[in-house]
Amino acid sequence: MGAMRSALPQFRGRLHDPRTAVAIGRWLGAAIVVCFLTGLISHVLQHPPGWMTGLLPTRPVWGYRLTQGLHVASGLAAIVLVMAKLWTVYPRLFAWPPFRSFTHLVERLTIALLVAATVFELFTGLINILQWYPWPFSFTQTHYAVAWIVAGSLLLHLALKAPLIRAHWRRKTSDVDAADRRALLAGVGAAVGAVTLTTAGQAFAPLRAFDLLAPRDPGIATQGVPVNRTAAAAQVTYASAAGWALEVAGPAPYRITLAELNALAQRRVRLPIACVEGWSADAWWTGVPIRDLLSRAGIPPGTALRVSSMEVWGYYRTTVMPAPYADDPQTLLALRLNDEVLSLDHGYPARIIAPNRPGVLQTKWVSRLEAL
Amino acid sequence: MRITLGAAGVVLIAAGLFFLLPLPGLWGVVAGFAGAIVLHDAIIGPVVLLAGLLVARLPDRVVVRGALITMGALTLITVPVLLRPGPRPNPTVLAQPYGLNLLICLVVVAVVAVVLVLVRRRR
Repeated sequence: MGAMRSALPQFRGRLHDPRTAVAIGRWLGAAIVVCFLTGLISHVLQHPPGWMTGLLPTRPVWGYRLTQGLHVASGLAAIVLVMAKLWTVYPRLFAWPPFRSFTHLVERLTIALLVAATVFELFTGLINILQWYPWPFSFTQTHYAVAWIVAGSLLLHLALKAPLIRAHWRRKTSDVDAADRRALLAGVGAAVGAVTLTTAGQAFAPLRAFDLLAPRDPGIATQGVPVNRTAAAAQVTYASAAGWALEVAGPAPYRITLAELNALAQRRVRLPIACVEGWSADAWWTGVPIRDLLSRAGIPPGTALRVSSMEVWGYYRTTVMPAPYADDPQTLLALRLNDEVLSLDHGYPARIIAPNRPGVLQTKWVSRLEAL
Repeated sequence: MRITLGAAGVVLIAAGLFFLLPLPGLWGVVAGFAGAIVLHDAIIGPVVLLAGLLVARLPDRVVVRGALITMGALTLITVPVLLRPGPRPNPTVLAQPYGLNLLICLVVVAVVAVVLVLVRRRR
């Protein structure tokens, strides 16, 4: 046993201490809480439980933009912070004996779960925003499930470590390492700042000039807005859109051509397209309010819709639009983007744009609206 | 209070497993969890500690350490972009020259560090 112990690495660095762990852990905890809650908001907006569908808020119009920008920014910050936190506690990996009691064993297993789930969640999230899927599982479902494991093991970790955290929440007055620790924390803070500065511009326009490392540069766009799913991927062409007419199914169903839609009263609104992957861009949209199209079919306010796309295949080929969006005067069947006819990649001949909604639900190439 | 917090944690973990276990490709998640621990504990951890050992005796160690943490963080979040194989889904995704941009960021951090060292020495 003594031989085993002497074979283990020795650590003489002085900042592998509980006070440093608490100081970095607080920041990491805050980042994880923001990331978890904003992720939960996106999940509820994309998969609302039945009782919530009538309660989804359409204001503020930039709500989804803000929350998902924060989701990705806090996740990227957490990658830096979790590395710093793990550095601080690294020597404890070699604690000998491996466990002193049953409680201690449980505590160490909890930490293994917390570390594994957190690092897995953050790095799969990072790889997902690159639209790279090198794994056999569904990203969205797995990311959602593991988020709960991260949140749960974090709460359990806080409960088990509560006395230690409380003892080191404030710096001791006789702390010889205070200056060195402050310098380390400043370095970690600088790293978080640098990562945020070089990526947040993909959602936060004032920082766009510093957007050097984010997957998206909203300046690289067509008609002023980046594209996620292209017409080619959806197998929609100008040929297949020729002779298009919108079908509205309700008590008084009707079909309406593009020329007839253009002849109806148009509304011009400024709304963001915001993606769960963290990027977003504001744009001017012109088109016919969905509410007007529904009234013509005798569909009363308070009705949810099924929206169908010309897409040949796709997870979002048909989507459900809950009543609050269908009723909102800013929700359009948009025909123009930034005062130009929609390009094929932006959903020509017509697409949905609604306030405070995930980008994937802003259905492009709309072919049919149906009262549910 | 501690017991409530711990119990809430156990409930959330159970909820996570309830969502996770029926999903297809579960072996990939198990491998990913194990890989996450190996990636950090066997690779990233030792490399960072070794760097710390090398920096420990340098003059202006505090500034050098902060600069290395910042450079490491910028590199860590950019490496996956550089490793990503295959064509881009469309011309508005991953449209930046990430290798060059990372280099620019690292040079800027180095310059800021040098300036900080000079300012500290003058005082």
